[in-house]
Amino acid sequence: MPEWARRWGWELLLAGILIGVLILNVSLSPFYLGVQNVINTFQLSIEKVIVAVIMAFVIVNGEIDLSVASVMAFSASVLAALHAAGAPFGLAVGAALLTGAIAGLFQGFFVARMGLPSLTVTLAGLIGFRGAARILVEDQSIGDFPEWFDRLGQDPLVGRLSFGLLLFLVGIVVAGIILHRTPFGRSLYVIGDNSEVARFSGINVARTKLIVMTSSGFVAGLAGVLFAARLGSVRGDLGQGFELDIITMVLLGGVSIFGGSGTMVGVGLSILIVLNIRNGLGLARFAITTQTGVIGVLLILSVLVPNLVSRFARRRHRGPGPAPPSGGRTTDQGGDLRGREHESQQATVE
Amino acid sequence: MTEPGPYLRASGLSKRFDATQALEDVSLTLHQGEIHALLGENGAGKSTLIKIMTGIHAPDQGTILVRGEPANIRSPADAQRHGIAAIYQEPTIFPDLNVAENIFVGHRERGTVVRWRRMYREAESILATLGVHLDVRALASGLSVAAQQAVEIAKAISLDVKLLIMDEPTAALSAHEVSRLFDQVRHLTETGVAVLFISHRLEEVFEIADRVTVLRDGRLISSNPRDEVTPQGAIQDMVGREMADFFSRSEHQAGDPVLRVEELGREGIFSGVTFEVRRGEVLGLAGLVGAGRTDVALALFGIAPADQGSVDLGGRPLIPRSPGHAMRRGIAYLSEDRLQRGLSLPQSFTSNITLPTLRRYVSRLRLLDSAAERAVADRFRRRLNIRTPSLRTPVERLSGGNQQKTMLAKWLNTQPAVLILDEPTHGIDVGAKAEVHKIIDELARSGMAIILISSDLPEVLAMSDRVLVMREGRQVGVFVRSEATQEGIITAAMGAA
Repeated sequence: MPEWARRWGWELLLAGILIGVLILNVSLSPFYLGVQNVINTFQLSIEKVIVAVIMAFVIVNGEIDLSVASVMAFSASVLAALHAAGAPFGLAVGAALLTGAIAGLFQGFFVARMGLPSLTVTLAGLIGFRGAARILVEDQSIGDFPEWFDRLGQDPLVGRLSFGLLLFLVGIVVAGIILHRTPFGRSLYVIGDNSEVARFSGINVARTKLIVMTSSGFVAGLAGVLFAARLGSVRGDLGQGFELDIITMVLLGGVSIFGGSGTMVGVGLSILIVLNIRNGLGLARFAITTQTGVIGVLLILSVLVPNLVSRFARRRHRGPGPAPPSGGRTTDQGGDLRGREHESQQATVE
Repeated sequence: MTEPGPYLRASGLSKRFDATQALEDVSLTLHQGEIHALLGENGAGKSTLIKIMTGIHAPDQGTILVRGEPANIRSPADAQRHGIAAIYQEPTIFPDLNVAENIFVGHRERGTVVRWRRMYREAESILATLGVHLDVRALASGLSVAAQQAVEIAKAISLDVKLLIMDEPTAALSAHEVSRLFDQVRHLTETGVAVLFISHRLEEVFEIADRVTVLRDGRLISSNPRDEVTPQGAIQDMVGREMADFFSRSEHQAGDPVLRVEELGREGIFSGVTFEVRRGEVLGLAGLVGAGRTDVALALFGIAPADQGSVDLGGRPLIPRSPGHAMRRGIAYLSEDRLQRGLSLPQSFTSNITLPTLRRYVSRLRLLDSAAERAVADRFRRRLNIRTPSLRTPVERLSGGNQQKTMLAKWLNTQPAVLILDEPTHGIDVGAKAEVHKIIDELARSGMAIILISSDLPEVLAMSDRVLVMREGRQVGVFVRSEATQEGIITAAMGAA
């Protein structure tokens, strides 16, 4: 396989799928590729796609953040509760953004400093922050925000682009540059692949993880505020279940759930695919449940196909034999001295 | 004793891992009721032999007969069916199960319902035959290592063990516990069990073994009844390697001291390590696996900092807090574990080399200058003669020797004052090994201070100006080049008289 195909194979496949989906959709409705329709497609899921960008960082780093949708709701609730209590609106927005960052920092502390698995910590966050949101707004729907805020969420800001869409477009480009072109981005991949190698190379693993988890909380908080602006009101169940859609977009984009691989281009393509499949199936009047089913199948394939391919490649390399589980490493028998003398327990596990 | 006879007969066992011939044409007979000791340096092939007998590895060649019948041991379950069990230095116990459950954990044919009372009774009776008194209802996590080992032996008995393999079972035990363990082992052999006993403590081997076998470089060197072997003879057999094909250091003069280490120690791990390394000098660190050599390196590199003693680097005191801090002060540590600590396998050749020094390759906008990165990687590719399809190739596709040189490039690029090399030639082929030796010599000549940790005695002797020997976490001697011999070092490392 040539070098470029190895590096960009997944992205090329995604591009192919995207073109297929677009052709289908255009055949359903000739106006499908109209500018306004494309913008509307994004606008309906803008909060999800913004969070998907930071989620890519989290997963490349070898972690997961299940709490994003709850943090969105929590931040939005802080905004709504302060506004309802008569606080200046700017202060309320600031507090909401800070809430997201602190929620992320709090979880990041347990993951980075205490070494707890992010799956558990952010699952607790998913439950806890959702509960906090419900306590703050109870079963009301708090609205009546200033007019400029509602307009920010709904109306075009530059040309036909809303504030949220602009933020996403700028954000994904900047995020791509950070991920692929800075020392920080490089260290995310190495930590995600093998945090011991990163530590032994002088990288401050705990600080990096803390930064990533805090950023994830901040961006989720920002998305919560945007959501409040777009809907014009806040309820306790705001964004419920979004975390799964967000993680789906990232994994389908070719970011390995085991960390250490994937590109921002892939995530961008996958976002386009998911949005257009939902839109197209909607145009063809398929129920929401069917849409979700189709995306579920895609997600399973996206995890299955690369694993099958590498399994097949390995088999051709080494001849028949059981393939090691994906993400796991084969122990190099000549590699580790300590391992060689006392590796028996380890070897039985593998 | 029940009918004493051969229980297991291995003939012509060979096993190769990539560049390493781990075992070559080894034949061995284990008799019922006999304690058979296996000796050898690190990497002599002892572990590979055990793993073949317990079904973890399949031999490339050779056969194993159990009670005269060919035995095809392909998995630990096969080994269990043939009555073969192994216990290790670290007991493989289930901490959240109680003693009796641990003893019977391997029994599948006992039905679906646990008959607790019967299990406790049988567990007690097995422990009684060993002369061990333990509460069978106690959780295993609360037991001492010695008690956990007794549980493991009881487990083997419950599985009707006929051959018990003990891999360094005494390493974590006190003298009193060792003598109790030996009593248990003798109880076992009286019932006709064959025991294969591996230990680095020669005096123990000579206390308990009926027969002593020595492996070296994967080959069987000698196998004799204990009465016909002396400790000196066994050491001779273990170390008798040829040094002819080793690189010889060029003449040079060592300069000023760069690193001074005074009474360095870490609670419970190692203590009392004192040495200095000069510019252009290679200090060898010899010792058995687990002697604490790597721990000294980890302390200097800030991974597991020392809590006793002091370090002085280039005339200034150094208290390494983190690898990043140690690196900035000029210490580089090439890990013994290439795959778990050394290289990020899916990352490219270039990114692996520049990983510790990434901030050097940023442009004004703080973006990575990949052309500058590749230029550096290319320079090292030429200088160290690293064979890689391209600068962007993931290192997982390079051979072991080239991966090792990639790691060396990664650390040389930090331009360290002190370079710590931990098993730098482990598991690489002869050609790559010679190249690494040549590089070490050149680095020393250019004035770098080098600490070379190696279990390969001829390598340590050929490359080092002085050799510091460690045993069980303590410094037991320093030999200057002219006085260092393989026998002297291994004797110090094993603590034999």
